[in-house]
Amino acid sequence: MTQVKAWAGYLLPKLGQFLFVVVATYTLVFVLVHFLPGDPLIAALAAKGGASTVIDPAELDALRVQYGLDGTLWQQYFGHLIAAARGDLGVSISTGVPVTEMIARAFPFSVQIASLALLFGVTSAVLITFLAYAAPWPWLRQLLLQIPPFGIAVPAFLSGLLLISVFAFTLGWLPSAGARSFDAAILPAITLALPVGALFFQVFSSAVLEAQNSPYVFTAVAKGVPPRRIFTKHLLRNALLPSITILGLLIGYLAGGTAVVETVFSRDGIGRMTVNAVLARDINVIQGVVLLVGAIYALVNLLVDVAYGFIDPRTRIGGGVPSRARLGAKK
Amino acid sequence: MTNLRKPGFVLGLIVIALAIVASLAPQLLATHDPFESVATDRLLPPSAQYLFGTDNLGRDLYSRVIYGAALSLLSASLAVVVGVVVGAVVGLISGFVGGRTDFIIMRFVDVLIAVPGVLLALIVVASLGFGPVSLALGVGLGAAGSFARVMRSQVLRIRSEEYVEAARTLGVRSPAILVQHVLPNAARPVIAMAALEMGTAILSVSALTFLGFGAPPPAPEWGALVSAGRDYVATNPGLSIIPGAVILVVVLAVNRVARAIGGDE
Repeated sequence: MTQVKAWAGYLLPKLGQFLFVVVATYTLVFVLVHFLPGDPLIAALAAKGGASTVIDPAELDALRVQYGLDGTLWQQYFGHLIAAARGDLGVSISTGVPVTEMIARAFPFSVQIASLALLFGVTSAVLITFLAYAAPWPWLRQLLLQIPPFGIAVPAFLSGLLLISVFAFTLGWLPSAGARSFDAAILPAITLALPVGALFFQVFSSAVLEAQNSPYVFTAVAKGVPPRRIFTKHLLRNALLPSITILGLLIGYLAGGTAVVETVFSRDGIGRMTVNAVLARDINVIQGVVLLVGAIYALVNLLVDVAYGFIDPRTRIGGGVPSRARLGAKK
Repeated sequence: MTNLRKPGFVLGLIVIALAIVASLAPQLLATHDPFESVATDRLLPPSAQYLFGTDNLGRDLYSRVIYGAALSLLSASLAVVVGVVVGAVVGLISGFVGGRTDFIIMRFVDVLIAVPGVLLALIVVASLGFGPVSLALGVGLGAAGSFARVMRSQVLRIRSEEYVEAARTLGVRSPAILVQHVLPNAARPVIAMAALEMGTAILSVSALTFLGFGAPPPAPEWGALVSAGRDYVATNPGLSIIPGAVILVVVLAVNRVARAIGGDE
């Protein structure tokens, strides 16, 4: 019984936080769209038909109703929020297709490269950290530690075009564009993995450094455990755990990165859809995408929190057992 | 200045100095008119006459990169200024007023940090229209959240310092305390962070101009140059890779110097 209560006390605030982030993201976007100067519908129609487009006022009112841009601000705010909760994100102004449908069509392509990028990024960050840890010479260690800051500074369009130029055009190993085959996902995923891996490296390597100075590693070294075993048995396990908390942030980075990467590789997906929506000033689509990204971010954070509660009982504050509460308070 | 003995730092300073000269007085560095096309000199490889080669209209790529510095770096700088000012004001108010106001403001700041900066910038650009200024506003707004958080933590630290207590006991009004005591003491970490943000802002601005949301075509913005060269990547990869590499070098230089400013060495 106390177990159930403790879990409820741990999970309910997290769930509340999740809902808050989603609603606040929606509110932020709503405020930006409606309080920045300019009428979104007129801008979109002008982008569609040229700057000199003349629209008859009655027709404009009809279009406002069609795209859900009619009524007072409060009506729009709550009307769209309730609709969004039911999965209805309105209709695209430029294509006339429901936004939810557009997202559902593009989403799998982006998920494919984003998950591959996450895999590449995290694996190479762990690998570089291990090599730097095991490097016999200080200069090699320094050199390896210089790679990740480079990954943050390189513009995605540069790394993408370099990869295309080398692997697609010079060597002819992989396709330069498209989204039909698995091969076509490799180069975009590598491009996307660079900043994400670099970001993960920053957190992971400092966690490794911290674990390295702990008593259990000192004991292991004193016992004569070989470095590779220390890394996999002690450092990796203790450093990966705190590192997964930035997973949500990485997902945000991936979502932002797809805009450039999918354009460079002429791939279908959420990013390219967003870029086209901005070019058409199609505010309904952009709103839908930002809400989706906000919701995924919040969901990942919720899952990380719950997983953390399972893995590390100390983070479950407010449990009935005194010792647990005491340990939790230390955090 | 022990920093001046480090080759990486000095190299970074030189690159930044060149970039500033290029943005303020491009005619000093450029070798050609960036808009003049020579019909017979199309798509030439780099040479002594055309340092970076020529584009599909026979324009000198090197001079276009030099002239592009002004637009690209000014909108990145404006973005950082917007981020610092908006973030600092919000963080200052939030930290100084405290209580429920602080709680509500900071929850919105959390969301501002959670939504990827590129997406925020895209919303602003779609609402305000394309161009270097709305790009800068969008990128700056995306950065404002982190500045607000740092500013607030500084204000909270300083608010309980003895000199603030003393001023309050003497009857100094809140706005005066804010301007005379809190702001100068909170500025340092915020400035260090602004320096680091500059590199990110250059990357974001060039990414958005690459996507076509910057100034209209003849303007030689760096991201737009890379985008224009994309069509020739199979035959003339230098056309997009050289401007891209220039962006990379400038960002590396800015980050290197910013780390030194932040005392991260």
